[in-house]
Amino acid sequence: MTLTGRFVLLVALGVVPIVLLGGTTATAVAVLAAWLLLALTLGSIDLALAASPRRLSMERVLPARVRLGEAVTSELYVSNEGSRRLRGVVRDAWQPSAGAGNNRTAVLLPPGERRLVELTLIPTRRGERTASHVTVRSMGPLGLWARQATLTAPARIRVLPPFHSRKHLPSRISRLKELDGRTSVLVRGQGTEFDSLREYVRGDDVRSIDWRATARRNDVVVRTWRPERDRRIVIVIDTGRTSAARVADEPRLDTAFEAALLLAALASRAGDRVDFLAWDRRVRARVQGASGAELLSRMVDGMALIEPELIEMDWTALPGQIRAITGQHALVVLLTPMDAPGASTGLLSVLGQLTARHTVLVASVTDPTVVGLTRKRSTREDVYRAASAERTLLDQTRVAAAVRQLGADVVTGAPDELPPALADRYIALKAAGRL
Amino acid sequence: MSRVSSTPTIRVALRRSSFWVIAGVGALLVAVIGFFVAGAGGSAGPRLGAENPAPAGAMAVVEVLRQQGVTVVPVDTLDEADAAIAKVGTATLFVSDESGYLSSEQLGRLGTLASQTVIADPDFLALQALAPEVGFGGVSTADALTAQCTVAAAERAGTISPGGKTLGLPAGTAGYTGCFPGDNNTYSVIERVADAGTITLVADTAVFANDEIATYGNAALALNLLGSTDTLVWYLPTLADVPVTGPPSLGALTPGWVTPVMLLLAAVSIAAMVWRGRRFGPLVAENLPVVVRANETMEGRARLYARGNARLRAIDAIRIGAVGRMAQAAGLPRSAPLDQVIRTVASLTSRPPDQVHAVLVGEVPGSDAAMMALSDAVDELERATSLAARPPGTGPSPTAPPSTGRMEP
Repeated sequence: MTLTGRFVLLVALGVVPIVLLGGTTATAVAVLAAWLLLALTLGSIDLALAASPRRLSMERVLPARVRLGEAVTSELYVSNEGSRRLRGVVRDAWQPSAGAGNNRTAVLLPPGERRLVELTLIPTRRGERTASHVTVRSMGPLGLWARQATLTAPARIRVLPPFHSRKHLPSRISRLKELDGRTSVLVRGQGTEFDSLREYVRGDDVRSIDWRATARRNDVVVRTWRPERDRRIVIVIDTGRTSAARVADEPRLDTAFEAALLLAALASRAGDRVDFLAWDRRVRARVQGASGAELLSRMVDGMALIEPELIEMDWTALPGQIRAITGQHALVVLLTPMDAPGASTGLLSVLGQLTARHTVLVASVTDPTVVGLTRKRSTREDVYRAASAERTLLDQTRVAAAVRQLGADVVTGAPDELPPALADRYIALKAAGRL
Repeated sequence: MSRVSSTPTIRVALRRSSFWVIAGVGALLVAVIGFFVAGAGGSAGPRLGAENPAPAGAMAVVEVLRQQGVTVVPVDTLDEADAAIAKVGTATLFVSDESGYLSSEQLGRLGTLASQTVIADPDFLALQALAPEVGFGGVSTADALTAQCTVAAAERAGTISPGGKTLGLPAGTAGYTGCFPGDNNTYSVIERVADAGTITLVADTAVFANDEIATYGNAALALNLLGSTDTLVWYLPTLADVPVTGPPSLGALTPGWVTPVMLLLAAVSIAAMVWRGRRFGPLVAENLPVVVRANETMEGRARLYARGNARLRAIDAIRIGAVGRMAQAAGLPRSAPLDQVIRTVASLTSRPPDQVHAVLVGEVPGSDAAMMALSDAVDELERATSLAARPPGTGPSPTAPPSTGRMEP
């Protein structure tokens, strides 16, 4: 039960009769009592005539998934199963991060009829967003008192990672296509295979002329190459405690997701087989044996629920996990922070095992503000901060050097630069035939 | 979808809270019973109140008088006392003005109202107005108080409880009779017979109080003093006797509707609180991630340097970074020894190698000012090197920071 502003106004209007009729204190008190009684009686009658908010049935229509940053319409069908007309307000109680905004909707429900309550959700956070109940406030015909009840009407929507880096995809795919049919023998390596013979055009490398074929035909013929297909790529994302840190107001984990999605989309388009593993001390998500659109949808679905865990990454078990995914040579992409030599000892201790079997690429997010801080030295505090920033950069350089020493490749970048940088490195590796 | 309501109906809510309702009612009952049980022995009501059963009250003597057929009329103001006496004509007036509410004029009027007036524990004003010859006698030290006078009531009583207050009456004062004498002309009861009536001053209230009425001859004295007429007016002055002075109070000036309107406003505010405060259904819980800034450790290290005045360590970090960048700008390999970098930088910027060595290695800052000067020198050297290493007329302006892609090959 609750009451409305109209009832408060009604009680306040009692001032008029009390002042006009209440000459003495006794009569004024009597008028006051009579007015309060009148107001309470009217309120009670109103409450008794209000439709029951419990005799409603709810039905929801809602897509199962939405990409972060996109709007989705939540449809709630409310049917009146009672015998009275319900006039009131419906509150669809979504979690704050679901971005429902003003979730109160006025409804007018004649008995036996159904109305649609629409709500536009713009989720502000990745993961599973839920609504557990719907609260209905049913006004009486006078609008003085209202009945209120909370009905369970669960709903959930999975908010997927935004994949902002997909804007880089077309340019990278076109660069990938340029690799096809290149004639230069310089790109030839382990990962390239013979594609076809075609007529020589001016500008082709003379070293790629196939003399036998030229002899067979009365024309100069060159061999063309294309990057080898069906290479294996294993993307491993570190979901341990260090991935929770925010760089440019984005957790490192989310940047890693962006980079992994772009790389997976690109590699899957290039014909390679992509496996995805999110790991700290146990498997948080694993996608194996999928390709094309299914690969991306399964990846974002798995990523949606991953949050950074407050535990240390277990690097020693990682080689075993990768061996379980593939026994062949693969490109292993480790998306992990590389901050300090102390924190990276786990990574460095297993890197040798991995580089012995695979091509390893370590991708890491760096903080773009650190470089700016090294240049700012106007006050005493600034100088100390600049020294600390230099020390941080030196640490990162040392870790990167150690990683390279162990035979792995390193890609670093600010949050918005890392995904395209990783994609470019993949293309470079593919062009060099090092997959 | 099923319609399961998580808001309880009134019946369910009552059933759920029935334990607390019963417990609350039980606690209330215990409190009420305890109040009545304890109230029987506690002091409730005024001292010598006619309806007061407490030890300091006077219900005992009043009830006995009533049983003997005396009409006891308790009154609160002098006017009421006057009216009550005027109604019956002859009456005994009992007065005990413990708080001294009555003024001299009122006391003078009091003495003329009834034929028999008994004043318990008279104060200074009462003595001045009604028996000016009588003074205060202090507390009695006598072991026993016997009547020793001709007043009938005192003679019948014989003794009263010792140790109370007394009144002083100089020897041989005409028109007064002192009873129950102590030392130095002090008496516990003094009777004055005047034209307007008999005034009996009883120095101590213990004679009439419930707890001592049954001891010695207290009861006999009290009953004989008070029960001589058919009507007894039991007058305990109250605040209503105090005459009103000064301008009329605010309460008298305000119209009658002000208090009810204030009550109404209180009711309106309660209604408004319910209106605005009633929650529209339960809150929705959500686990939010903790925000961890990535450069938190870097800031922490900077503050540690500053607190520990680690100037050399700080400037060395800046120097190492600058040396790396200068080596890169000068086209030296990453692994070039420091001496080679210093020589190359000195030749590039045409400065003495000793000076470059001092800036990059040798100088130890002794103060924060020296550290900042050194930091500026390193910065200036770095700029000069990158400017000198760049072919003239190419590249961005020398004020732009040099490339810092140091982790990239």
